[in-house]
Parts: sequence; structure tokens; C-alpha cells
Amino acid sequence: MTREEIINLFVVNVAKVSAEPIRMSGAGELNGAVAGLLTETDRVFCPSITEIEKGLEFSPDKLIQDYVSVSVCVEEAYAAIAETGSLVFESRGGKPVQAGLLCAHHVAILPSGGIHESLDDFFSSLGDTPPTNVTLETGPSRTADIELTLTIGVHGPGRLTVIVV
Amino acid sequence: MNDTAAVPFRANAITALRDSALRAAMSNAAETFSAKRSDAISGVPIEEWREQASELRLSVLDNLADYVDRFETNATRAGATVHRAKDSKEANDIITETLKDHGVQKVVKSKSMVSEEIHLNHHLQERGVTVVETDFGEYIVQIAGETPSHILAPAIHKDRRQVGKLFAEKLGCEYTDNPTVLATIAKTVLRQEFLSAQAGISGANFAVADSGSIVLFTNEGNGRMCTTVPPLHIAVLSIEKMVPSLADLPKFIRLLPRSATGQALSSYMSVITGTRKSGETTGAQEMHIVLLDNGRSKIITGKYREMLKCIRCGACLNACPVYRMVGGHAYQSTYPGPMGIVLTALLDGMERAHPLLDATTLCGACGDVCPVKVPLPDLLRKLREERVEKGFTPKLEQIGMAAFARAAESPVLFHLGQAAASFLWPIATKIGAKEGLERLSRPAAKTFRERVS
Repeated sequence: MTREEIINLFVVNVAKVSAEPIRMSGAGELNGAVAGLLTETDRVFCPSITEIEKGLEFSPDKLIQDYVSVSVCVEEAYAAIAETGSLVFESRGGKPVQAGLLCAHHVAILPSGGIHESLDDFFSSLGDTPPTNVTLETGPSRTADIELTLTIGVHGPGRLTVIVV
Repeated sequence: MNDTAAVPFRANAITALRDSALRAAMSNAAETFSAKRSDAISGVPIEEWREQASELRLSVLDNLADYVDRFETNATRAGATVHRAKDSKEANDIITETLKDHGVQKVVKSKSMVSEEIHLNHHLQERGVTVVETDFGEYIVQIAGETPSHILAPAIHKDRRQVGKLFAEKLGCEYTDNPTVLATIAKTVLRQEFLSAQAGISGANFAVADSGSIVLFTNEGNGRMCTTVPPLHIAVLSIEKMVPSLADLPKFIRLLPRSATGQALSSYMSVITGTRKSGETTGAQEMHIVLLDNGRSKIITGKYREMLKCIRCGACLNACPVYRMVGGHAYQSTYPGPMGIVLTALLDGMERAHPLLDATTLCGACGDVCPVKVPLPDLLRKLREERVEKGFTPKLEQIGMAAFARAAESPVLFHLGQAAASFLWPIATKIGAKEGLERLSRPAAKTFRERVS
């Protein structure tokens, strides 16, 4: 597959699992795109660890350090897998992986070069000494425990937005 | 459930069959899951995947002791404390001691069939530790004081109105039968539990020998909460969950959620390797892994060893015509359905499990859907043979079978038996044997031999 085909497959599969894919051509549009996703009352956590995260600008009243009490978590994903439409988050570099679980709306930013074509590509790259936590996130939190009725957003976020840069 | 009294499957099945709401819920669940599975495996090389996964599972079982050793070494290196438990009692004691050492009074728990197998909740609660189940379905079942009826959808036997009433009664909220609102109520209650719990207990879908990692699949995210939010994490898993390396995981990732819920992948899949390292902000400060044997080292040497290939997807339950009718509770065992019958016989013994061997039609559907090719129909047949050998069939059946064996070897006796059957039938049906005979077809006026000769 070419890079473009891999990106397209990823975007198609992200939409299939009820997440919202957004594609943009350059990092310059990022701040506008992220701001457009936030509502008036949203409080945001951003780990500000990677270069992309450090480049994001939020109004100071929106940004909160304590990720337990925010509605939105905006962060860069470590990688992604086109085959399943999954995002990969890792504890590498001091990332609090659970922050993306405790919020109601998870916004993930993904440089398109980080998309692996298949599960095999990604898991072969992990080796035998992975970081403490590697999590694949494939769509929003869901359950069907009452009469198999699909309910979105049980313990984790009910909304997942994926911005492919 | 540690007693050896035979499971009253017939009585349980009769009760279940008279419950029309339960039957509707069970068949809805089984049909929905089966249809989703069919959709998920169309257009993928499923036979090739099943074959590969089966071979890999077998090769792990061939060298299981080595893989378990390797897992222990690597998990220990990553910061976990690994315990080996030969049976339920040892596992429960290890977990209780660990919690006591840390002064833990309340734990949050994500769904784990192994913890059900060892009756962990009961054990902990008797010792004063509060256990909060955090899977939505498990939580419903727990506050209702019941047990799961399906390994994937534990509360499938309850409809939305029953859950609404239960929540209003137990949680003091306003009655609603809206599943989304009910899930939100549970989320709010459980969020506080996650944030305040001193320890989290989880199972594991797989354990990776070369990296010492455990692997968890959940859709709700409760598994991730239990393993990342509290400072202490205890994982309890059975030894056969081993896979050689992380690179082998995709073979099972492609099969497990597809066979279980019809998804290409569950919402969350976590690979957890030991404790939080310096510079990290995720991961428990202390992690204990309890590796449960509970008879598996013995099973692996015998003729039922392929049962240990099972990855607990639940596909055989949904495919089974008996399970679809009676549901999980009738089996009165940790594991229901076709895989459950075999596991119960192997783990609890024939004395307890033998009536469950009637809960199969030997139609073969369970074997056809199994993602790792566990030969369930063969195993069930072998267990039925063993049941006869060990004398666990009903007395009447034993006498009847012995009489038939004699008659089948002698044309004279056979003919006599046929004559006796048509002669005695009207009398037998009048003298109280009616109940048992009404399900048999009445003897033909002319036997087959009379008609063709």
C-alpha cells in the first residue's frame, strides 16, 4: 500500500467504529481545528509533552492541569493502525495514558507518518521491552449490557475525534 | 460451588424453559451475537486464521511450563510480583494477604472469568473487603445479588425495566428504563469508586511470555480504569493464557473480538508490562500477578488437553441450541454452554458435572464456530463415554441399555422385546409411568421387520 492508501484506509476504519476523523494538510491549521471542537463550557487537559502538544494554544481559563476533572483531553497519539482504525497511546515519555479515558471527549492528533498498515506491523515494532502501558483505542467507549442496546460512553469518552495531520 | 453434588440441570432447564422473558432475552442475545460474528468473518480468510491460531495455541500447550517460567522472569524484571497458585484456595489466600498487607478495604474489579472460577468476590467479602464490579453488566448482576448468565453480557437475562427498578431500589435514583440514562447513572457511581479505590483487580485475556505483559480487551474502559487509576493492581489469570511474543498477538486480536461481539477490535486493548517506571505517569506503583493452575497442568497431559486452547470468546455459547433455550444459569457453573460443560467436567469433576452432559445435542455447531478449533463435539462425546464408564448414568438408563445390548445380539430376544413393547404400552401409560412415556413415540402396530419381510 502507498502512504496515501494507508491513510485512506485508516480514515475509513476510524469512521466505521463511530469515531470522527478530520484530515488536514498542515499543522498550521491545528489550533483552529481544535478550537472549533470545544464548546463554551469545556475544560481541557493537554499533556504538553510532544512538540505538537506544545504548539497548541488554549485560553488560560479553559486549560486545567488535573486531568480527572476535565471534559476534553487533547493529545498527540503515539501511532495508529490502519487495519482496525485504532489509535495507539503509550506511557513512554511520561504520558498519562489514563487522561484520554477519564474525559468525555477525546481529541487525538496524529501525524500521518505514524500510521501502521497492519496490526502485525505495529506489534512487531514493539519488541520485548515495551513501555508500562500500551493502549489501542478503537472508537468511543461502548456497552450493550442492557438488552444488547448499544450505549456509547460508559466509563470512557463518548466522543472520539481523530485529527490526521 | 465447591461441593460435588450433581448439578440439577434437568430441573434448572425446566425452570428456565417456563420463563418466557428469559427465553426471549437469551435467544435475542444468541442470535444477535451470532449474526454479528457472521458479518465480521465474511470477507476475511477466517479458516486460515483459525488454523494458525489453533497451531500456535497447541505449540504453547506443548511447552507451557517453559512459557510460564519465561513469563514470570520477564514480568518480574518489569517490576511485577508473580505468584503461583495451585488451586482456588491458594489464589484467594494470596490475593487476600496482598490486600491485607496494604490495608485495602475496597477494590474495584473488571470482569474476569478466572475470578469467578475461584469465587474471589465471595472469599474477599467474607474477609471484610468490599469488591465493586465495574463492568456495567457485572455491576447490575452484583447489586442484584445474582451471577452472570453470559460470559460477555452478564446481565442479558434482565430487561431494561428490571434494571430500572433495581437501580431505583438500590441506588435511590429516579426510575428510568432508558439504557443510556442507566449507563450514565452507573458511570457516575463507579467513577467515584475508581478514584477512591486503593486497589484494582483484573483478569487477562492473554499473557505474553517474552515481555512479561498482560493483555486486556474491554469496550467500556473499566479494565483500563482498574489497571491504571488505583496504586495497587492485582491480575489473576490461568496459566494457559500464554502467547509467546507481542508479535504473535495480532493472530488472536483478529479472532477474539470478531468471535465474541463481531467487532474487528474492542474499543480498548491494553498491554500492561509491570509497574510504573521512573519518568512515567501511568501504571500501578505495585503489581501482583497470580498465575492459577487449578488442575490445568494435569488436564494438559490427558485426552482433553485441547480444551485449554480456548480463548473465552463465547461463540460456542451463542451457537449452541441448548444454551439458546435455557441460558447460562441452568448450568449452575462458572462457565456455561459447550465449553462450559467440558471445563466444568474437567475442573469440578464428573460427579458434579455429569448431568450437564445431557445439555448438548452433539450437533457440532460449537466446533464449527470455535476460533481456535477446540474440538468441542469430540470432547463432549469422550466425556459422555467417560460418564458411562464411571457409572454416572441414571439406573434406569443403565438397565435399559444393558437389556438392549443383550436383545440386539439375539434376534429371538429382540423380537420378544418388540412384542412386549406393543403389548405393555397401553398398560404402562395407564399406571403412572405416563409422565416418562409421553415423550416417546408409541410402538408401531407393525414392526419394520414385519413390514419388509
